[in-house]
Amino acid sequence: MNAEYTIILLRLAGLICVGLVVANFVAAPRLGYAGSLARAEKLVRQIFYVHCGYIVMLISGLAILCLGWPHLFLEGGMSKVVSGFFTVFWASRVVVQLTYYDSEYRRRERFWDIFFLMVFFTLALVFGAAFLFER
Amino acid sequence: MREVLNYGLLFAGLGLLVLTIASFWIPRILGWKEKLADLSPLMRELFWTYAAYILASHLFFAILSLGFRDWLLSASPAAAAMSGFICFWWSVRVYLQFFGFDLAEVKDTRFNRLAKRLLTLLFLYLMIFFAIMVWWNLGGGG
Repeated sequence: MNAEYTIILLRLAGLICVGLVVANFVAAPRLGYAGSLARAEKLVRQIFYVHCGYIVMLISGLAILCLGWPHLFLEGGMSKVVSGFFTVFWASRVVVQLTYYDSEYRRRERFWDIFFLMVFFTLALVFGAAFLFER
Repeated sequence: MREVLNYGLLFAGLGLLVLTIASFWIPRILGWKEKLADLSPLMRELFWTYAAYILASHLFFAILSLGFRDWLLSASPAAAAMSGFICFWWSVRVYLQFFGFDLAEVKDTRFNRLAKRLLTLLFLYLMIFFAIMVWWNLGGGG
């Protein structure tokens, strides 16, 4: 696979990241964040929402980078460490979902469980390819 | 100027590394385990997962600052973008530190007060330093 194909894949990864950002906003009401956190202390609620915000910020930044400047993942001094970080980031997300998330909930939402596993796996593969094919 | 920024990056990286290590104590100090007990399993899992990914991001910033200083000082658009992102990240954190978090539930001990002051100083330093890095990478150094 050459660099041109990898750039196309990185742009695809950017689109997937845009979808994930949107999904984060859909997840909040669907998973009932507000109701679930109502019993928790104020600081716990604040930390949870701040962490959500930072995750959205990180994925948004990644989406902008992938859609606007995908070649940066393939050239230059630290492209390897950035693509390496996001390979581990998304691969670990697959592992977290398979080994840590509530299996009962995953069974109830089997379609979305498999859908997001495939999304995270695809992202891990794309950034893994960028890591391997960096010039 | 480059030499000063190089040392500034080293200090930022070490600060981020200390923050990453110290973060392992935050759940205990703030009693996360007990406070999360009432949440549903899924919400608890999301909470810990998000916290772990934020921690990993801080470690990533530390690795960049310590191991890729030449690249971060390369005055390239990519270095400016990365510095800008890190600056934005810590600017949000500074805003939250002063106007966002309600820390009334945290025990008012001497250790907690000191930790809060040190964290605030670190966040301010990271925000200001990476703003300077953006300026440098956009050609501000001449």
